[in-house]
Amino acid sequence: MTQAGEAFREGHVEADGFRIRYMAAGAGPPLVHLHGAGGLRLTPGHDLLSRQFRIVALEMPGFGTSSENTRTRSQAELAATMAEAVDKLGFDKFNLMGTSFGGKTALWLAAQQPDQVQALVLEAPAAIRPEGSEPPSGSPEEMARRLYAHPERVTLPPPPDPAVRAQTGRLVARLRGPDRDPDLEVLLATLAVPTLVLFGTLDRVIPPEMGRHYKTLLPNCNLVLVYDAGHAISTDRPEAFAEVVGDFVERREAFVISRNETVIHP
Amino acid sequence: MKVSYFETGHYQPPRQLPARWPVAPDNYDGAAGARSYSGMVERLGLVETLGFDWVSVAEHHYSPHRLTPAPTVSAAYLAACSRRIKIAVLGPIVSQSNPVQVAENLAMLDNMMPGRLVVGLLRGVTGEYLTYGLNPQEARERTTEATELILKAWTEPQAFGWQGRHFRFRTVSVWPRPMQQPHPPTYALGASRESCALAARHQLGLGVAYGPFEVMGRAVRYYREQCAQYGWQPAPEHIIYRANILLAKTDGAAQDLLEARRGPRDSFPLPAGVRDALVQLDRRNIAGETRTPAIGGTLPINFCGGPDTIVEQIKRCRAESGAGVIDLMFQIPGAADLSFLMQSLELFGKKVLPHIRDV
Repeated sequence: MTQAGEAFREGHVEADGFRIRYMAAGAGPPLVHLHGAGGLRLTPGHDLLSRQFRIVALEMPGFGTSSENTRTRSQAELAATMAEAVDKLGFDKFNLMGTSFGGKTALWLAAQQPDQVQALVLEAPAAIRPEGSEPPSGSPEEMARRLYAHPERVTLPPPPDPAVRAQTGRLVARLRGPDRDPDLEVLLATLAVPTLVLFGTLDRVIPPEMGRHYKTLLPNCNLVLVYDAGHAISTDRPEAFAEVVGDFVERREAFVISRNETVIHP
Repeated sequence: MKVSYFETGHYQPPRQLPARWPVAPDNYDGAAGARSYSGMVERLGLVETLGFDWVSVAEHHYSPHRLTPAPTVSAAYLAACSRRIKIAVLGPIVSQSNPVQVAENLAMLDNMMPGRLVVGLLRGVTGEYLTYGLNPQEARERTTEATELILKAWTEPQAFGWQGRHFRFRTVSVWPRPMQQPHPPTYALGASRESCALAARHQLGLGVAYGPFEVMGRAVRYYREQCAQYGWQPAPEHIIYRANILLAKTDGAAQDLLEARRGPRDSFPLPAGVRDALVQLDRRNIAGETRTPAIGGTLPINFCGGPDTIVEQIKRCRAESGAGVIDLMFQIPGAADLSFLMQSLELFGKKVLPHIRDV
C-alpha cells in the first residue's frame, strides 16, 4: 500500500515575509487547501483529488517545521497572508478548500478575494462552534478518538515534536477566535461564491449540526453530511469525500443534478 | 365529459416563505399542515356530493405548494374518506421509483377501493429529478422501462425475473394482484412522442397537461395515429387534459382576479446555475416537436370566466383537444382564501357540471 501523499512534491513560496511550504500534485484546475489546527497532513482524499485537480496544500506560517509565528494576530490576517501566497504561486482564479481551523481561514480569504475564489469547500469548518467548545487535546490516542470515526483503522503519524506542538498550540489559541465571530458572519451574508460545507455524521470535535448555520448565513451554500465519518472526513471516508468535493468543484451548484448512469446492460 | 378535481393540499403558510428552491423544512408550519390535510377531506366530501367523477392526486416533492410527495398515501387517505368517487393517482413518478414497489402500492389501493382506482404513470417535471438524484438524460428511458415492468408485474400470472436496461429483479411476484382486471385504468402522462407511443403500444390512456387546447390536440392526434397502428381506437375517456381553472361568479370577476395574479409568480426558483444546467440536459417534445423544459415559471390559466363562459371553453376544449376527462386545478386568487375555492367548486358543480355532461 502506498503512503498518502506520495505523489506530492514539496515547494516553498515567499509571501508577506514568511517562507511558506507547500505540497503539490496533479494537473487540472487549481485547488488550494488550507489545513486544520493539527497542521498539514496529506490524506488519501488529497491523492484522489490530485487525479482531477492541481492541488496545492499550503502550510500556514507557524505550523509544522516553520519557525514560530508570533506576528499574525487574527484569522483575517492569516487569510491575507495565504492569499498573497496563492498569488505568488501564479493562480489568478482558484478553488479553495479549508479544513476545520483552515475552514475559517478559507472563509476569510474568500471574503477578502471574492473574485478569485471560484468554489469554496469547507471540510468540518471551525468558523462556527458551540459555545465553550475546546480544540482536541491529549495523547495521540485521545486525539485520534476525537478526530476519527474509526481510529482503529487509522495509522497514526509519529507524534509531533513537543516543542513544535507547543508552538502550534499557542498560535491556534491566539487565532481561533470566538465561537461565533460577528465580524466574519456579517461577511458571510455577502459571500456569493458557491460553497460546499461537509460534516461527518460522527464528528466529535465540532457537532455536524453546526452545518445548518452556514446554510442559513451563506447565500449560495450546499450542506452535505458524510455518513460514518468523523472530524477528519478525508481520512475516514476518502473516496466519498473526494467524489463530492470533485463534483462540486467541477460543476458548483449544478452538482445537485445527478450524472449517475443506471444502465445495467445495454 | 368527465370531470376530475385535482387536489394538491392547498397548504396556506402563515408567513412569507423564502423565495428559493429548496425551501428549508424549518419553514413548515404544523398547524397549517394539519389544516391542509383535513381540508383535503373536506373538499373531497364536497366534490363527491357535487357529482365530480374523480378526485386526482399527484407526486410532487419538496414543495410547499404541493404537500403530496407520496401519492399512494394521499389516495389511501382519500379512499378511506369517500364511497363513490374515483380516485386518480396521476401519478407516481416512475422514472425515479422502484417500479415493483409502485406496482405493489397501486395494487393494494386497487383492492382497498374496488373499482375506484385510476392510475397515471409519469416521468416527472424536470425539477423533480433533483429529489432522488435522477440523471436527466436517463429519465425518458427509465420511465418507459418502469412502466412496462409495472404493467408486467400486474398481469404476468407467474413469478418472473426482469433483466432490464435500468432495472433488474430476479424474482417479481406481486401480491395482491390488482382487483380490476387486467389492471386498473392506466394512463401514460405526457405529450411527448415517446409517451404517446408507449400508451398506444399498451392500450393505455394518455394524459396531457396545461398546454393550449390546440397544442394538446396535436399530441392527442399523434397518439390516435399510433393507436391505429397498433390496431385499436381510444375512447374519449382515454384522454385526460389537466388544466388550471379560474372560475368566478361572472366573467368580469374572473378577469379581475386574473389581472390581479399577473406578474412574476415563480415562488421558489431554482438557483440559476442549476436551472441552466437542467435545461441543457433534459430533452422534451410535444408529439415530436422539441420544446424547452418547463422549470419554474407560471403555468397558464386554461379556463377562465363565469360559469357560462367556462361551459363554452370546455366544449371548445373537447373539440380541439379531444379530451374526455378534464382534471381541474382550481385557482385561488391572492392570499389564503380557501372559502373562494369552496365557492368555485360549488359553482362548478351546480352551474357548469350539468351542462357539460353531454359534451
